[in-house]
Order: sequence, then structure tokens, then C-alpha cells
Amino acid sequence: VVEVTEGSTTIIEGKVIEDVKAPTPPNPAGQCPICRWNLKYKYNYEDVLLLSQFIRSDGGMLSRKITGLCLEEHKKVAVCVQMAHRAGKKPTVGFPTMTYGKLPGIIGQIQFPDLEEGDISDTFYSHHPQELLDFIHYSPLALSSLEVVCKGTVQYLTSFFPISGLLPNHRPLHSQGRVSTKPKFNRYLTRWSVRSAKPIWKRGPKWCRIPFRVGHPLLMDNISYGQK
Amino acid sequence: MASYTKAAQQWATFARAWYLIDGKLQPPGKLAAVSVIRLQGKHKPMYHALSDCGDHVVIINTRHIAFSGNKWEQKVYSSHTGYPGGFKQVTAAQLHIKDPTAIVKLAIYRMLPKNLHRRTMMQRLHLFPEDVIPEDIRNNLVEELPQPRKIPKRLDEYTQEEIDAFPILWTPPKDYRKT
Repeated sequence: VVEVTEGSTTIIEGKVIEDVKAPTPPNPAGQCPICRWNLKYKYNYEDVLLLSQFIRSDGGMLSRKITGLCLEEHKKVAVCVQMAHRAGKKPTVGFPTMTYGKLPGIIGQIQFPDLEEGDISDTFYSHHPQELLDFIHYSPLALSSLEVVCKGTVQYLTSFFPISGLLPNHRPLHSQGRVSTKPKFNRYLTRWSVRSAKPIWKRGPKWCRIPFRVGHPLLMDNISYGQK
Repeated sequence: MASYTKAAQQWATFARAWYLIDGKLQPPGKLAAVSVIRLQGKHKPMYHALSDCGDHVVIINTRHIAFSGNKWEQKVYSSHTGYPGGFKQVTAAQLHIKDPTAIVKLAIYRMLPKNLHRRTMMQRLHLFPEDVIPEDIRNNLVEELPQPRKIPKRLDEYTQEEIDAFPILWTPPKDYRKT
């Protein structure tokens, strides 16, 4: 969708962008993209260029039906994406959702039935009420009769932002001007979420020590050259 | 041996060197492993436990160390004051807030050999939470040791050429709407 402002009229038109020709994969007989490119056991949380192709703009995972990944690879990629987010590796454009993997709900739907060009209705998907209000405010078309249908809960992310620098370049709207004084800890290869991990008060003697789990069991089969 | 004078050779072998390590985004255990070798003097071919050949180690940016896994929440540092009811347990996160150098200090203290030399070796260790170092220590530094962990790049740290060079793995279906 391309928005062009000419004087006092704002034209919002949708253009079909030509798909970029993808290069041929080295193993075209594979079932999922990862098998086709021979990357099965070779990626980890730090391969952000690979992981960023399977995520939405707000950081959640895309569904398997769209990307075409097999189930185990989809789970592995989801786990790597989670670890990358917690490590602060992926600055994203939008706002992160609380749970990764859920499809965005339609929060607002703006319809303009009074236009002469035909039945143009614009569906605006947004997670944040502020974005929706901005859209309504800035588009003159919306000032005429509009029908805003709000669905879904209005419980937005006041306190669920990841702790360490996930969005270094993009600060969320509602916390503009507010500097959080919460201390940020650097972490990597986290298996569990920060809020759910409880302290291990008694680790036990050496022979029955409770270990600190690092990484994820799904990624145990990864090949590593050079390290033990 | 080459053509050094005897005095110069003697100075070079027995002088105490000052090493610098940057702890930014590094695991404290690996930092400790590297520093313990230098503090004991085990990196020198003429090492002997009694010959006091350890070097100084300066670690900066200890406030920005990174634990792997969920150790910030799970690792517990315990201590007892000696008085009844004085058993204190603090998580790594709480301890780090209270004292940003404590985690690295404890890691190194526990890795050193448990003898009377340990205290002197700890006196030769210098920890700084940020990269602000006193003038005299900065003048003494000889070498900066490489960081033990390779820090992975963030998505915005990749150049546009690198991002373009990476192939697109899958093509979206025709009716896919990018949100």
C-alpha cells in the first residue's frame, strides 16, 4: 500500500509489488525451505538473517501453512527466535506480542461507504489503539462517516516488553518520554522466559547437582565444528 | 635469548605484567577462567607455585556481563553472617544490582587454588563496573586479552549488502498479505 500526499488530498493506493525472483536452492527436492537449502542442523539463535525471514514485523512467528516449514524445523526456528528476542538480537518495527505464534486479531476495521470511486474499504490491522487512533486522525477519508468496529481485548502491552534491548531503534508509542529505570541484564541461550524462571535455592551436592539448563533440547542435534 | 643483555632478560622474565579484559556481553565464568591463569602465572614457562609469578588483571565493564541460560534468575549466591538466622540467599540478578563487580569477583575467587596465595592473587585483580579506569592503572596496562565469547551481531548491525547477499528461503503464496 502506497500513500501519496498531494496538497490537501491524500491518496492511498495499493500497488502489487512484483515478487523478487528467488535463487534456486541447492537441494530442490526438500520438503521445507530449510531442507532445500541444506541448513537442517546448522543454524542457531545468532543466525538472525535466517530467522528474520520467518517472523512477522512485530516479532511473532509466521504460520507453517504460509512458510512451508516442517513441524520440527518450525519448532526449532520458533525456539531460536525466542532466544534471539531474549538476547536482544532482533530490533523489530512494530510492537511485540505477548505470545509468539498467534495470528494478529483484527482490532479495527474502517469502512468508507460514501466514496465515489467504488466500494473502497480499508482494513487496518493494528495491535495498538494508539496506532488506530492516529490512522483515523490523519486520514481525511475517515472523517466522513466511518464505522469502527473494535474487536478483541484492549489489553495492551504496558509491562510485557522484553527486558534487554529488543527494540533499540523503535521505541513503543505509549512510553515516549518515560525512561524505564529497570536494570537490564544481558543474556543468551535462555530456555525459559525471564518471568517464569525461579531461583534454585538448593542445588544439592556434586553427585546429584541440579544443573543450569542452557540452550534448548531441540537444538541438541546441531553440528558444531571445532568445539567439543 | 637473542642479543638481550642479562639484566634486560631478567627484567623481562620476572616483571609483573598488567592485562586488560573487556567483560562486555561475556559470561563471567569464562572471564574468570582466563584471568585465573594469568593471576597464577600459569601462562609463563617459568611458573612455580612458590615463585610468586602472577600478573595483574584488570576487568572492565563488569556491569555488562551476560549469563547464558536463565542463570540471572536461577543462580543463587549464599552466605552466612555467623549469627543465628543469618543465612542470606540472593539471586544473581539481585547481587548484580547491589554490586556489579561481585559476580566476577566471586567467580574468580572460587576458581583460584584454595591456598594462602589466593588472597594475594585477589589483590592483584582489579574490577571496574564501567570502562572508567584510574589514570595509574591505565598507564600500567600492557596487553588487552581477546574476549572469550564471540558476540553475535544484531539484526541492525548487518550491512545492507550482507542482508541482500543472504538468499530468500521461501516464497510467500500469492494471496499472502504481509502484516
